Amino acid sequence: MLSSVGYCKILATVMPLFGKSQKSPTEVVRALKEAVNALERGDKKAEKAQEDVSKNLVLIKNMLYGTSDAEPQTDIIVAQLAQELYNSNLLLLLIQNLSRIDFEGKKDVAQVFNNILRRQIGTRSPTVEYICTKPEILFTLMRGYEHQEIALNCGTMLRECARYEALAKIMLYSDDFFNFFRYVEVSTFDIASDAFSTFKELLTRHKILCAEFLEVNYDKVFSHYQRLLNSENYVTRRQSLKLLGELLLDRHNFTVMTRYISNPDNLKLMMNMLKEKSRNIQFEAFHVFKVFVANPNKPKPILDILLRNQEKLVDFLTRFHTERSEDEQFNDEKAYLIKQIKELKPAAEH
Amino acid sequence: MMPPGSPGIFRRKTSSSDSAPPFSTYPRSARVSIGNILAHKMAVTGAGVTVQGWPNTKEDYELKEVIGVGATAVVHGAFCKPRQEKCAIKRINLEKWNTSMDELLKEIQAMSSCNHENVVTYYTSFVVREELWLVLRLLEGGSLLDIIKHKMKTANCQHGVFDESTIATVLKEVLKGLEYFHSNGQIHRDIKAGNILLGEDGTVQIADFGVSAWLATGRDLSRQKVRHTFVGTPCWMAPEVMEQDHGYDFKADIWSFGITAIEMATGTAPYHKYPPMKVLMLTLQNDPPTLDTGAEEKDQYKAYGKTFRRMIVDCLQKDPSKRPTATELLRHPFFKKAKDRRYLQQTLVAMGPSLETRVQKAAKRQPGTSGRLHRTVTGEWVWSSEEDGDGSSDEEFDKEKPMNNIDGGGSSGSEKDPNEGDSGSIQGMGGTISEQSSPGHSVQKSATPQKAPGTPTPRHNKQPGQQPVQQPMQPYPGTAPVIEQQDPGMMESTPINLVLRMRNSRRELNDIRFEFVIGKDSPEGIASELVGAGLVDGGDMVAIAASLRRLIETCPSCRAVTFPLNSGCGENEDPDDKALIGFAQISITD
Repeated sequence: MLSSVGYCKILATVMPLFGKSQKSPTEVVRALKEAVNALERGDKKAEKAQEDVSKNLVLIKNMLYGTSDAEPQTDIIVAQLAQELYNSNLLLLLIQNLSRIDFEGKKDVAQVFNNILRRQIGTRSPTVEYICTKPEILFTLMRGYEHQEIALNCGTMLRECARYEALAKIMLYSDDFFNFFRYVEVSTFDIASDAFSTFKELLTRHKILCAEFLEVNYDKVFSHYQRLLNSENYVTRRQSLKLLGELLLDRHNFTVMTRYISNPDNLKLMMNMLKEKSRNIQFEAFHVFKVFVANPNKPKPILDILLRNQEKLVDFLTRFHTERSEDEQFNDEKAYLIKQIKELKPAAEH
Repeated sequence: MMPPGSPGIFRRKTSSSDSAPPFSTYPRSARVSIGNILAHKMAVTGAGVTVQGWPNTKEDYELKEVIGVGATAVVHGAFCKPRQEKCAIKRINLEKWNTSMDELLKEIQAMSSCNHENVVTYYTSFVVREELWLVLRLLEGGSLLDIIKHKMKTANCQHGVFDESTIATVLKEVLKGLEYFHSNGQIHRDIKAGNILLGEDGTVQIADFGVSAWLATGRDLSRQKVRHTFVGTPCWMAPEVMEQDHGYDFKADIWSFGITAIEMATGTAPYHKYPPMKVLMLTLQNDPPTLDTGAEEKDQYKAYGKTFRRMIVDCLQKDPSKRPTATELLRHPFFKKAKDRRYLQQTLVAMGPSLETRVQKAAKRQPGTSGRLHRTVTGEWVWSSEEDGDGSSDEEFDKEKPMNNIDGGGSSGSEKDPNEGDSGSIQGMGGTISEQSSPGHSVQKSATPQKAPGTPTPRHNKQPGQQPVQQPMQPYPGTAPVIEQQDPGMMESTPINLVLRMRNSRRELNDIRFEFVIGKDSPEGIASELVGAGLVDGGDMVAIAASLRRLIETCPSCRAVTFPLNSGCGENEDPDDKALIGFAQISITD
């Protein structure tokens, strides 16, 4: 028979699952940290540690998001929770041990991380400020792409980070950024595509930051980029070409564009890509090629190439994707290019 | 315990950029047991050696028989050599994926973020030239729909196809999968017997969510959202999904689940006899269907008891908030009748169309019944179109055609009558809504070489493999295939098949298919019908009518028109006529 004391004990342990009397943020963060540490040590109690990690992650997640029958915790509790997370350095610890956490737990980590990251006090984002002082969090996340089992979870968190200019800047200017040129080409499609969308986010989200970055690092970025355009992987080729078009046509990147379209090698590459077997690639190449032609101040080497191929280009463009009859913008642009190329004249010798 | 997957969960938080909305606890114990099963399996197959992941090179796989063919994808049974393990491989032609691949990624991520024994298992994906190969678990038992059809053909199912225990056993597994889905913040949107697959061991898995969905939809992968929202068979579709203006949540799956329950008992969805437009009307206007809705005689299904009927009534409530969650439903007394896998092995898998006794031809498929994987005379699984329509009385499996010619579209290996044409459309109310599937279509297309940019640019006069005939057929959204214009004389009697492609309130692309009979229909009439059916915003009626007129009357050579919408685009969107943001497109589909 249960003594009343024993019964109360049972209630006390069961209650948190049901109602409001949850563990305090301090308790749950401490418990989670202990469990992750145990998991990291990988001792005999690993299974128990795994269970504790999962359980406490869920508790934290529920504090932040609420459950079907409980509202999220009050701002005060959430603030306290965030503070505990910063003080305990738990965010980094979780990310470093992500591969050891079970499948659902990994997803919970990403949800908790993203929620805490989005937290605002007025216009301030305290977690962003915190991560700025702990950039190791970002570098660890970026290196997550090296590990199949955590790549997508890291990607989810990275893209949330990339929404904040301060964090995007740290990532762009880190050495690790250039690893993306490798990540976007890994053989597992979903990981490569995920890396690509993070890569794209970093290069396009914060216009001025991105333009500056591209200008300062022009040579390094575009020599790496060249490899993507020549990738064996169809998806890499197609996606990188599309992104190139978007980058060049963004007015913030005017300087970068001018530089890009002054290089005859780039023009040759685009002319080759216009003739790729893939029509999608042809079409994307068209949108880069047009920038070379529309340039009012074509450098001589560019003009020479266009002139040398004048007639054939006109012929080629006239037959290019003619079925796209309903795409007015495309047809206008095509007509414009044909006209421009027809009217090309050798530059007057000085 | 708190039910995971209740409405509160879907509250929008400050940002919605998480792929999976927050959800309450998914019972952890279930996961632990899955882990154990996996560990056990590995130990057995790997003889103590931990089997590494699934390889990403095509050489590591032996492609076997084609088990499914869609317009843009071919599904093979396959053998993974390093692992010595069977699997299924879906080969998707990315050239037909026209817009950015973000959407594609999103769907694959949805799939890879699932780890549940009742949800189809994704292993890996990689690129092979212009194809994406998805490696998935192979479920050899086929779909529940196949088994239903086989049973209806081979046994007297007048008073019901399966007994309650079988139904409860299957549906309980489906519910567990749904519960997981919903706890992940995902909505399946297409629950039906055709999407429930069976393993030979009696495993039940929900298939065809996200990525798999667009595999079957037709030639244009970027239109994947279509069938989620409108195109496809409306028989399983919840009223709020049809109405489209409030958006919908995971409760839509519970409605479809209820319809699936009816399907398992009677063999078909309740309104399967009616054309899609009519189904919409019936679903929206009538009381929810019951087991007896499709009955031909009184008491036909009296063998099914009250508990089962009550469960169906619970699911089929028009007000989504009144429907139980998957978790709540799992506690329904009906599921006490559920047995184990072995029971399903006996009642379903063994009973299913066996290799030797494969039916010569699939039963005449009723309009409104779904199709996905079907077995053929030769024992192969074929991926058939979603909708066969009522013209498909003669479903010859055409073995002469190349099975894996992706470029050629979806004709090959399809169980459909190749002459049936593209739409498999179902007549009704002057309009048809149908799935794209396209035997006849693709034949025409392949026969008409596109004008490829064959002129080499000087200095690069090597033409890298440019063979016009092999050019992808549908390189961009809305690019109508180059097909000769029909003889105008014919057009008077032949209805023109059209598709209106536009975004719904959820900003997902929809294809709304309809017919136009010259001399009988008017652009204005059709446009107002579309508005009347709640398919388009009233503000766009005039624009649609005008564009339709332009397409049909004033511009005989046009195949498609894109036009701006009065209803404009979403708050954070810029109008884009290519992505059809703030724009819509009407095209002739043949």
